[in-house]
Amino acid sequence: MSKQLTEKKSIFSVLGRSPYAAAVWAIVWKDLQIERHTKQTLSVMIMFSLSTVVMFNFALETNLDAARNVATGLLWATILLAGTLGLNRSLAIEQENRTVDAILMAPVSRSAIYIGKVLSVTLFSIVLEVALVFIFIMFFNKPLWRPQVLLILVLGTIGYISAGVLITSMTIQTRTREVLLPVLLLPLSLPLILPAAMAVASYMFPQTPTWGEVQSPILLVIIYDLLMITTGVMSYHYVVES
Amino acid sequence: MELTRLDRNVRILNWAAAIAIFIDLAVIFFYAPTEKTMGNVQRIFYFHVGAAWVGAVAFFVALVAGIIYLRKPGRKWDTLAVASVEIGLVFLTMATVAGSVWGKPAWNAWWTWSPRLTLITIAWLTYAAYFMLRGAIEDAEKRGRFSAVYVIVAFVTIIMSYLSVRVLRDVHPVVVGDTAESAKGAAEGLQDFSGVDSMRMVISLNVSVVAFSILYAAWMANRIRLQHLMDETNSLKMRVAARLQGDHA
Repeated sequence: MSKQLTEKKSIFSVLGRSPYAAAVWAIVWKDLQIERHTKQTLSVMIMFSLSTVVMFNFALETNLDAARNVATGLLWATILLAGTLGLNRSLAIEQENRTVDAILMAPVSRSAIYIGKVLSVTLFSIVLEVALVFIFIMFFNKPLWRPQVLLILVLGTIGYISAGVLITSMTIQTRTREVLLPVLLLPLSLPLILPAAMAVASYMFPQTPTWGEVQSPILLVIIYDLLMITTGVMSYHYVVES
Repeated sequence: MELTRLDRNVRILNWAAAIAIFIDLAVIFFYAPTEKTMGNVQRIFYFHVGAAWVGAVAFFVALVAGIIYLRKPGRKWDTLAVASVEIGLVFLTMATVAGSVWGKPAWNAWWTWSPRLTLITIAWLTYAAYFMLRGAIEDAEKRGRFSAVYVIVAFVTIIMSYLSVRVLRDVHPVVVGDTAESAKGAAEGLQDFSGVDSMRMVISLNVSVVAFSILYAAWMANRIRLQHLMDETNSLKMRVAARLQGDHA
């Protein structure tokens, strides 16, 4: 226990010169610790993704050619659905254990809590995506290992989770709770997934596309990220105050 | 007191909207020239653009109402946002249906999954989900606060739609664009603007946009009045319930 604390301190001293960054990091660290002990969020996300991939194959009647053509779309669909599970889990934990009240009592900016939550769920999602990329390469034989593809996946995830944390923080406080999240979040994230899937799809050919060919969808993804993070940072405290 | 003033405004706006739409229909069918390549089908375009324009305005109004609500919570801003989203959704549906009817002869399909059409569907779903969120929260203060945040987030989809159709390849004619793009649209035979006919088309389009805007204002006034009546009914119900409980005690 004491070792952990010193470890935490050393990381604070490196990253947390400003109290804001320290608060962000504390949230991320807390979530990583919870995950390290329970291993609930990631295992659920990965198991769910595996079932989804198998289900998609079943829907495509194990027609590998058809599956290959829609592989990038399937990849994003899987990330979106698994993402809703991760978001619900990560924010419901706070609600169940009433830790959210404790966190809100801390004299830190609400936006730091928001950024911390976005970072931690994004980290989980990136781990999931790396696993998914391997699964997709194996099942669909697509050149998904390219660094550009991984970069687009990360960029897309940041935007998706930024919207997700804000929306989930609202939905877990409503009557229908978990049920409401996909209904709100999936349409909201589609303007991001549309260009992101287009960008990933253009890397599915043997020759690497030029920057000019993928520029517009990637820029759209970045614009969405910026818009969502700004909206989240500005409005998060209206969502958590009671 | 509030209601009687609102009633008068509603009556005036209803008449204004009826007259405006009547004039607009006359302009569309008798003043606007028949388009060279598309023929009469092109007349749908005035209706379609008018409805789409109001859809965008309505969601923008909802966004502004949402921002003001968060800064200074007040029942009227929440009412304004709900009314605007509801009516915006209706106009968006009208624009989509009109566009679809135009698309059948123009593209030989009621629907294509081009980026613009996909994004419009997404925007429609996003704003329809607004009512799901509202329905799931009982506390009026919380409902107002969450809906205000949601309506701000939802507007990101509108911004993305406008950006996406500018940079991604699409079969939908460019409407919000510079002259070079309009010229390109014309060259593709989608809108043949030339000389006097072009002038008359532009005038018809503007008449349409103004008429639809007046219709929007009228519907807004009606919807806000309805909300006031609903609020009043609710408070009366509460009073009756309280009185009955008092009698029993």
